[in-house]
Amino acid sequence: MNLKAKCIPALLLVGALWLILAVWCWVRPSQETSLSERRKLAQLPDFTADAVLSASFMSEFETYTLDQFPFRDSFRAVKAATSLYVLGKKDNGGIYLSDGYAVKLEYPLNVSSVTSAMGKFEALYGTYMEGKNLKIYLSVVPDKGYFLSQKNGYPAMDYARLFSLMQHNLPFAEYIDISGCLQVTDYYKTDIHWRQEQITDVAQQLLKGMRVGEIDYENYTVVSANTPFYGVYYGQSGLPLKSETIRYLTSETLEACTVYNAETQQVGGIYDLERLNGRDPYEMFLSGACPVLIITNPNAAGRELVVFRDSFASSLIPLLLEKYAKITLVDTRYINSHLIGDYVTFENQDVLFLYSATVLNNSRSLK
Amino acid sequence: MLFSSITFLYYFLPIVLFLHCVVPKWLKNGVLLLSSLVFYAWGGPKYLLLIGTSILLGYFFGLLVEKYAYKKRAKLCITVYCVVVLGFLAYFKYADFFIANINGLMGTDLPLLKIVLPLGISFYTFHMLSYVVDIYRGDVKAQRNLVDFATYIMLFPQLVAGPIVRYVDVAKELTSRSITADEVFLGARRFLFGLAKKVLIANMLGELCDAFLVSQAKSVLFYWLYAVAFTMQIYFDFSGYSDMALGLGRMFGFHLLENFNYPYTSRSITEFWRRWHISLSSWFRDYVYIPLGGNRVKKQRWLFNLAVVWMLTGLWHGAAWNFVLWGALFAVLLMAEKFWLAGVLEKLPRLATHFYVMFFVVLSFVLFNASGLKAAAVDIGAMFGMGGLPFANAETLYYLQSYALLLAAAIVGCTPLCKTAVSHCCEKTIGARLLRVAEPTVLVVLLVTVTAYLVDGSFNPFLYFRF
Repeated sequence: MNLKAKCIPALLLVGALWLILAVWCWVRPSQETSLSERRKLAQLPDFTADAVLSASFMSEFETYTLDQFPFRDSFRAVKAATSLYVLGKKDNGGIYLSDGYAVKLEYPLNVSSVTSAMGKFEALYGTYMEGKNLKIYLSVVPDKGYFLSQKNGYPAMDYARLFSLMQHNLPFAEYIDISGCLQVTDYYKTDIHWRQEQITDVAQQLLKGMRVGEIDYENYTVVSANTPFYGVYYGQSGLPLKSETIRYLTSETLEACTVYNAETQQVGGIYDLERLNGRDPYEMFLSGACPVLIITNPNAAGRELVVFRDSFASSLIPLLLEKYAKITLVDTRYINSHLIGDYVTFENQDVLFLYSATVLNNSRSLK
Repeated sequence: MLFSSITFLYYFLPIVLFLHCVVPKWLKNGVLLLSSLVFYAWGGPKYLLLIGTSILLGYFFGLLVEKYAYKKRAKLCITVYCVVVLGFLAYFKYADFFIANINGLMGTDLPLLKIVLPLGISFYTFHMLSYVVDIYRGDVKAQRNLVDFATYIMLFPQLVAGPIVRYVDVAKELTSRSITADEVFLGARRFLFGLAKKVLIANMLGELCDAFLVSQAKSVLFYWLYAVAFTMQIYFDFSGYSDMALGLGRMFGFHLLENFNYPYTSRSITEFWRRWHISLSSWFRDYVYIPLGGNRVKKQRWLFNLAVVWMLTGLWHGAAWNFVLWGALFAVLLMAEKFWLAGVLEKLPRLATHFYVMFFVVLSFVLFNASGLKAAAVDIGAMFGMGGLPFANAETLYYLQSYALLLAAAIVGCTPLCKTAVSHCCEKTIGARLLRVAEPTVLVVLLVTVTAYLVDGSFNPFLYFRF
């Protein structure tokens, strides 16, 4: 074949696509945030002599070009689909799809991280709880990999060892096993978290373990949020996964409760429905990440609970409220442990350490 | 700047191509030089002064050597020049290696200099050495135009990771070159294939190698999987880079020489080195091996020449003993082939010879990629069951399954199978018609897919940048 006849159409086609993308890169206004990735995007760095000489301009410009590339989400989807369906990779960026669930590869068990977390819990006990008449409990929330990894041929964390380490190395706390109350359908398909409407049996198990009696959830109403929910793995996987619906339980008791946010010093309700339209709709449960929250239940008498927790507790704690007059939630990822005494008395209170396997396995953020 | 980056692909390249296209002929090299300076300085302008000094030295010594051609002074000039540029290379690349060895041998405690390796120093030093030596030999005339000479050294397609281009091969095109649509298409196609080799295969296999290195549950099979994956990664990484360099060169009117020719299809180590990093092995042949006397000397001297060349080849790749041992391994294999193995290999079935070559190549790259001699011994020992590891475990099987298709594609891709199939296709009318549609489609798909990987990717180092 005549080379010119062959190459001109190909050159035009490829060249046109390349040029369109290049021109688009230059003229497209910068975006502030990526909704799917739930993060701020890099902006064009300042062009200064110092920045050029230190090469920081160049590295920031590289990040800017990646973040601001036109059709970024679509290209990320192309990459994910190519990796999984063309090249046959079993995960994309550490996220795999199994039985319709997007799951993060949480592997292997990081014993030093778990040990470090236990050390921090022990320090909290030593500082605030030792020698006091407190009932202290501990529970671990398994991630979706607990149900799906091994079954589907993915490397699985040694969950038995994790549970055993937690159970046997923190003698001041009574371990409550909730893993038997859970199955994969209790979790969102596109998110790391569990579904509140599915974990009443977990709440019952914890209440039973803490010896405060049962709650009849028949009186609770399940409400479906109107906003489509795309979980954190939706953005991380880059795959066009289907949206889900957030459902939450409400009752007269829950509606009467007030939540005091010690950081903002504002009082609100259990559910912050405005957050459904925000970056992470799961933050509607107790307003997302906060260092200290104090929930007051005017319909209960006496008993108080302190929970050291991560984000899994946000949707679970409302299900325990009926039995407590006051629940204080402390997230030590956002508050230094020496400040906790300003908010919690640790007198005649139950204490629950409730952490997910994921946070324990990556515990550097715990303070 | 990396070829496989959004910055290069969608910002730098379009601007440079446009400028190179629109400026008059006398300015084209100026555009290339300026863009090469930006390209080089992108990783940090720190070493611009060094490369600038090296270029000026190469330029003036080239003129001096030519001026004193066939006189004693020429020999003096070239000796001084070699000492100076090799001194630069020794200081910036090997100083800490020497210091560490002196400390080890003498029990001293000399502090390490911890010098950051200037980008591409091994490549541009060899470019300039060949230029001045070729002038001394009378093979080429010195370049009088400093811009043209600097363009030759700094030409961004080959500046930081080769191939090692000799001045004689591009001298004509430096002053007069034509750029046609055919050439641009062929160059762009070559660039895109190279980019796909790098981004879709080498980077992905690099992720597997990284997963192996951080794994806490290794097995014998995982060691072999890593060894094969790294062997494929380094080929697709480096040959992909060479393809991109050749493709870019062609788009700007330069015809750089091939650097790879399906080395993993070789049937002997001798053949392997004729097909792998051709520009480096031919450089050592022409500027070290032959001046030492090559094979036209006594047997002991011939062995010595071979040993020197391959130790230097190893050392060129990195300032560490595992690289020296890597070179020595090939020296031994090449000696063995030259003296008695060649005859044996000829009689062996084709499959057995391929197995022989790949066995040693895979082992050599485990040695090459190890963090030191001790680590290399551990890695190679573990491959043969000496680490007390299980043969396989769940993690190994996971990675094997996850990368099986990619590895299979890589194995097919490092043979000429696809090229042969396309050639056969072109011979038939219907096949040629099909290709006419398929080729642009494939190129568009590759551009979109590679862009997608770059937009989403974080793993993108070029292995040969460290040399």
